[in-house]
Amino acid sequence: MKKIIIKKGHDLKIKGSPENQISSPITVDKVALSPNVFRGIKPKLIVNEGDTVNLGSPLFYDKLKPDVKWASPACGTVTSIEYGQRRVIKKIEIAIEEDKVDSFDVLSDSQFNSANREAILDYILNANLFPLIRQRPFNKVANPTDLPRDIFISGYNTAPLSVDIPTIIEDNRESFQVGLNALNKLTDGKVYLTSKNHMEFDNVVNQMISGPHPAGNVGIQIHHIKPLKPGQIIWTVNAQHVLTIGRLFQKGFYDPRIKVSIGGSGATNPQVVDTIFGANVKSLLKNQDLEESHRIVSGDILTGVKVETDDYLGFYDTSLSLINDNVKRPFLGMLSIGSSSTKYSLTNTFFSSRSGNFDFTTSQNGELRAMVPINSWEKVLPMDILPNPLYRAILAQDIEEMEQLGIWECDDEDFALCSFACPSKINVGSVIREGLSLLEREG
Amino acid sequence: MKMKWLRNILGKLEPEFKNGGRLEKLAPIFEATDTILFSTDERTESGPHIRDSVDIKRVMILVVISLIPCYIFGAINVGYQKSLTYGLSTSWIDNLATGFIAILPIIAVTFISGAFWELLFGVVRKHPISEGFLVTCALIPLTLPPSIPLWQVAVATSFGIVIGKEIFGGVGMNIFNPALMARAFLYFTYPADISGDKVWALAPDGYSGPTALSIPAGKINENAINLLDRASSELIFDFSWINMFMGWIPGSIGETNKWLILIGALFLTYIGITSWRIMLGSVVGMTIMALITNVLAPYSSNTMLTIPPHYHLVMGSFMFGTVFMATEPVTASHTDIGRWIYGILIGMLTVIIRSINPAYPEGIMLAVLLMNAFSPLIDYFVVQKNIKNRLARYAQ
Repeated sequence: MKKIIIKKGHDLKIKGSPENQISSPITVDKVALSPNVFRGIKPKLIVNEGDTVNLGSPLFYDKLKPDVKWASPACGTVTSIEYGQRRVIKKIEIAIEEDKVDSFDVLSDSQFNSANREAILDYILNANLFPLIRQRPFNKVANPTDLPRDIFISGYNTAPLSVDIPTIIEDNRESFQVGLNALNKLTDGKVYLTSKNHMEFDNVVNQMISGPHPAGNVGIQIHHIKPLKPGQIIWTVNAQHVLTIGRLFQKGFYDPRIKVSIGGSGATNPQVVDTIFGANVKSLLKNQDLEESHRIVSGDILTGVKVETDDYLGFYDTSLSLINDNVKRPFLGMLSIGSSSTKYSLTNTFFSSRSGNFDFTTSQNGELRAMVPINSWEKVLPMDILPNPLYRAILAQDIEEMEQLGIWECDDEDFALCSFACPSKINVGSVIREGLSLLEREG
Repeated sequence: MKMKWLRNILGKLEPEFKNGGRLEKLAPIFEATDTILFSTDERTESGPHIRDSVDIKRVMILVVISLIPCYIFGAINVGYQKSLTYGLSTSWIDNLATGFIAILPIIAVTFISGAFWELLFGVVRKHPISEGFLVTCALIPLTLPPSIPLWQVAVATSFGIVIGKEIFGGVGMNIFNPALMARAFLYFTYPADISGDKVWALAPDGYSGPTALSIPAGKINENAINLLDRASSELIFDFSWINMFMGWIPGSIGETNKWLILIGALFLTYIGITSWRIMLGSVVGMTIMALITNVLAPYSSNTMLTIPPHYHLVMGSFMFGTVFMATEPVTASHTDIGRWIYGILIGMLTVIIRSINPAYPEGIMLAVLLMNAFSPLIDYFVVQKNIKNRLARYAQ
């Protein structure tokens, strides 16, 4: 298959990238899941405060799809359940104590090979690991009753400060292959694995792809390989989660290990750590000296969420970034000549080269303004989508036009760089998300 | 530069302008002053947590900076044309001083009236003061003759800012280029002060200082280049191609020097805030249309049809309008293909207006305004094409 070369986009060069991808284990004393971050579900608790749970036993389920349950990433006691406004469940905290696991019979090779879609699906559902599978459109937890057209896995990571996916895949080839085999049973279509260099796996279509961020985003890849049409459903799985599914079939229980990169200018020791799903931030940052004021972001720096040290790593997140939160106010900053150490712009409006790793701050670098279309969005969106008309259609809540302009193929994470580059400081991604929500509600 | 004392003063004043403060209503003015003096410390709320260093302030101020060479040369040329008509020989520094004294009041009146309306609308309509008015106000004086009465400058600027921009909701919402609206307003309301042969140089009474375009305009059965050559030998002005390119001719303050405009174009393209497609499209459209009129010239008595493309390029405001007016991103087409079409049509229309209607020898002003009106339509077709392609893909 021909390699896809993506030209538009930009690889942000950020200070504090974990160069050394050799991971070191970190012990975690608490984990948590946050039901309110999953889109489109109605969570219902299965556990109460004070209950003891095993690794893999369900913590809550989705009232809309009762088969879909969320596994506890550790064995221990539910120490607290935190509610937010209107009683949304914000957090289920578990203090890790023993290591009891909920385990299942491992399928033999012949059982596995002869298993049909139903059997594999039930195995994953019973292990409470189905939420690892997400769907497009809407980028939300998949629905097990859907039959996806294809399944996409991105083996090419371009997000800033992220873990190196190809290394992880190579180090765990066997589990990855088992995961692919399982996923292959879930669709009548194909399982696509994208990568920069060729990867040799069975039961999968390997599509080579290269280019700057967001070329590693699965949404961009689907758009270039086989675009999503209205009414179709595609499932996507993070490469690390393919390993989790693979290990489930190998071992018969939930192995919550995951590799997380810790980076950003605030990380005194940028590194990749071996940890588990939902690990608490404080434990993850054990090896860092947190002195200056820094914002901690769970997930990719472009799309992640702000967390505090007593919060937890997001369910799908595999990186934790520390960004300088100390925003200065230079005198007549708009007239400054700029230098590579003070300014970073995709335009050439400053004398800065974008060459060295830049110490980004959380500054918005300007105030919100009406859109002045100087092609800043178009230059970083490698899709055949006109972002500006789409943005307008969403603001006008014109669902028909949104559909015509291709919103089915869009996800906010693919527009994050547009927001980054916008001189008017418009959060394009969040507008795209608004459009998707509107479409989902009324479309 | 440590400006801590100023920062402290602003910091102390800030609560007065916040919600519940005594001067709450004037908040947009404080905010504008505060953020122009010291870059904002506003932080990102959610992802993306980091942002590009560029903002609208920077974009707008760089457009203003790209106009400064035109201002300096414009001042020198105003002084030079004046000494020419008085028969004096003066140094360039004298010319600069004379010209500076002549155009400074125009600039001051433009900025004062522009700022007045911008601040008024900001306060009344509670929208942030937009930096776009700086560009509008920097452009207006450059499009005017040095002899323009100051009250007309004030009226035109007010028209441009209020009718051209604010009634639509401010920068980003306007349909027509506000600076051109201001000029068009003067053109149609006070034609005696902005057209004809008398206004372009600060000359003694009764002295005629024609522009390059007004020489062939309205003439019958002549060759435009011959006319320009004849004018050069009969008048004190030199209308050779190279001199028109270098800008030592009567005209609006900022339009005459073509190579500085060219440098401005390269600068704006390099920093990435202006569409080179529009500029190139306009030149391409002008060339095509001029070649067509050249072919048709023998069949008509209209002298304007004989102007070759490279003369169109250096006559009148074609280059100034192409580089600084047509490229205004909000009122131009918003799609790349649209920008090509938009630019090409502006170039073609300019030649058509110049040729067909000698009453409006300066065609680019009307061409840009007309295309401003049509740019949404161009975008509509580009968007429809995109939609059609997508539907075709879905049908596969």
